[in-house]
Amino acid sequence: MNYKNKNLQELNKKIDGLKKLEKKNENKNKVNGASFGFKISTEIIAALVVGVGIGLIVDNYFNSKPIGLIIFFIFGALAGFLNVYRVMRRIEKQR
Amino acid sequence: MAAKDSPLKQFEIDPISNIELGGYNISFTNSSFAMLITVLVITLFLTLTVNTRSIIPTRMQLISELMYNFIAQLLSDTVGDNGKKYFPFVFSLFMFVLIGNMVGMIPYQFTFTSHIIVTFALASVVFIGVTILGFINHGIKFFTFFYIPGVPFYMHPLLIPIEVISYLSRPISLSVRLFANMLAGHTLLKVFAGFVVSMPFFTGVFPLAFIVALTGLEILIAFLQAYVFAILTCLYINDAYHLH
Repeated sequence: MNYKNKNLQELNKKIDGLKKLEKKNENKNKVNGASFGFKISTEIIAALVVGVGIGLIVDNYFNSKPIGLIIFFIFGALAGFLNVYRVMRRIEKQR
Repeated sequence: MAAKDSPLKQFEIDPISNIELGGYNISFTNSSFAMLITVLVITLFLTLTVNTRSIIPTRMQLISELMYNFIAQLLSDTVGDNGKKYFPFVFSLFMFVLIGNMVGMIPYQFTFTSHIIVTFALASVVFIGVTILGFINHGIKFFTFFYIPGVPFYMHPLLIPIEVISYLSRPISLSVRLFANMLAGHTLLKVFAGFVVSMPFFTGVFPLAFIVALTGLEILIAFLQAYVFAILTCLYINDAYHLH
């Protein structure tokens, strides 16, 4: 009986140690900032690319050289911020 | 840059056999070969491991079931009950990207996900499919997706173009993220591999050690990017069901 209890105690210690290790690893994952920054930057760039693309097409179509590009560039930038806001909100929800 | 030793040489497309059809170059290239290997690996792995169908699974069967459960859980978490229909699609997409990235981690093997046209084609399939799905579910009402309720009416001329651009930027951000991660990682590996041979005496050991660590990180990124691709697909499918 005594022997069994000792075994259980050891097992308990082992489990506690592993749990601590798991917690440490979790903290490590949160520090991964590079991928986070990358995520955000692609969102802005993608929206800007679409905005500029639409602007160029509009200018080509209506022969209104810089105006369409200017307007849709600004729209694209705003859409980029909207994308970032949405990504951030999703990440906050996960935490 | 000297093309022979360039770190970007690994991304070159080499035709294995030249095929031309109706004026289009549809050669079987090293990229197609990598895709073929990927599909073969997925098919063989999934069929052979699940073949035994034992209640107490073997290790390999457990891996297959783990992947299945992973995507099934992802779909039911994000889309809900409607998501079950799209399991085959999301699972194929996830496995194709994941195994494609992993096959690319084998030295001398081509990484097809490091080409933006491949990832953009995948993202376009998702984007067009989800848009059609939205129209099937909601008909013409799908356009209200771009209309935000509870906003003063004079703001709508400003907000609707922003929403539309935000929607159109989805396939681009989806494809660029996967492509750039793979491109950057593999280029970095090759640059440091160049340091190993060019540094004097034994100092080449340090970049070599760094490459070993970096390879581990790359495998993590390979998995992470496949996961991100799958979860974003799920979120887009969810958007096609629930406007706002």
